[in-house]
Amino acid sequence: MSRSIREPGASDHAETRPDVACYVYGILPEDVEISEDAIGIGDPPAKVGIIRHGEIAALVSDVAVDRPLGRAHDLVAHEQLLDAAAAEVPVLPLRFGAVMTTPEAVVEELLGPHHDSFAAALKQIEGRAQFVLKARYAEQPVLIEVLSENAEARQLRDRIRQLPEEVTRSERMRLGELITHIIAAKREADTQAVVERFEPVTAGAVVREPSHERDAAHVAFLVENDRRNDFERAVEELRAEWDARVEVRLLGPMAPYDFVVS
Amino acid sequence: MTIAVPPSGGGGLPGRSSGSGLADVIDTILDKGLVIDAYVRVSLVGIEILTIDVRVVVASVDTYLRFAEAVNRLDIASQQKGLPDLLSEAPRSIARGKSKGITQGVLEAAGEKLQDLMASRGEEPAPHARRRRREED
Repeated sequence: MSRSIREPGASDHAETRPDVACYVYGILPEDVEISEDAIGIGDPPAKVGIIRHGEIAALVSDVAVDRPLGRAHDLVAHEQLLDAAAAEVPVLPLRFGAVMTTPEAVVEELLGPHHDSFAAALKQIEGRAQFVLKARYAEQPVLIEVLSENAEARQLRDRIRQLPEEVTRSERMRLGELITHIIAAKREADTQAVVERFEPVTAGAVVREPSHERDAAHVAFLVENDRRNDFERAVEELRAEWDARVEVRLLGPMAPYDFVVS
Repeated sequence: MTIAVPPSGGGGLPGRSSGSGLADVIDTILDKGLVIDAYVRVSLVGIEILTIDVRVVVASVDTYLRFAEAVNRLDIASQQKGLPDLLSEAPRSIARGKSKGITQGVLEAAGEKLQDLMASRGEEPAPHARRRRREED
């Protein structure tokens, strides 16, 4: 079970080329093949290969060590490759930027020492995919909501309106702070409601940090392939219910980024 | 099974059917996913991870003033009904910063984490075969 197979093409010359290292995208089951036209990071995009070890494998490509990593194209390529793979097979995604010296190092330092836990994790995510729900309060409706609910906010608004802008900086700061806190409370309640609402149709949920000050909910869900229709129907129902108040976006299916780290 | 990968132009941001943009990608792959321990991960002279910090500092002065300004616009809009909605998303600040978390941290015990998750939900995974075993030859 400890045999390792290296696909030709991916990293043939890494050992003899000090300017080339091995970029690792993620971990997959051993019995997976990569299409010839799969491309990864880099410019021009690198050919993607696979390094097998026991029951698991790593998705890799050569990476030049003499140029910076992390341009927009690299970031998108990393996620696209993993998400395309995750649509077909279980994938444990690595965080962007995992680079190891050689394919041998990938086996000896990554796949070997963690073989059993990776294999177990891959079995756990078999048949599941991640989706991310991003909900954002529409600006005008939420501000109207805040003003109607909070007397201090209304008083501050009136004062700001009556006085010249130069003398109301502290009032504007206070109003903005108040709105921020009220929206944060709404976010907490709405996020909790979303998690509970989707619990029957999901296998896991991770609440993400808000990525915008008007975020209503930012939650990653793990969804069984068999329940995907139910899940998407529930998202549509939520969207209809929230209507103009909240804009709802659904990303995915994608690799289970939020479910492989603690 | 062969993994089908959508063709990419090699530049710019390929369209994604899910409506995902660069900001969404960054939210997902810069601080999520397995992390290789710093001592295992190569640290090569010359490789520099550019990180793009699009994280909004939720409680910032800028945010406060932006909200106050939006309330002002709200007043104007309510007084002059019928004006087109000129509000647009404020551009997210994009700044280069030092990455944290990529060069530190440990390889998480993914199996344990997932097992905990499944156990806490009290559900058995329902495998859905999407690939066939390779022929052993």
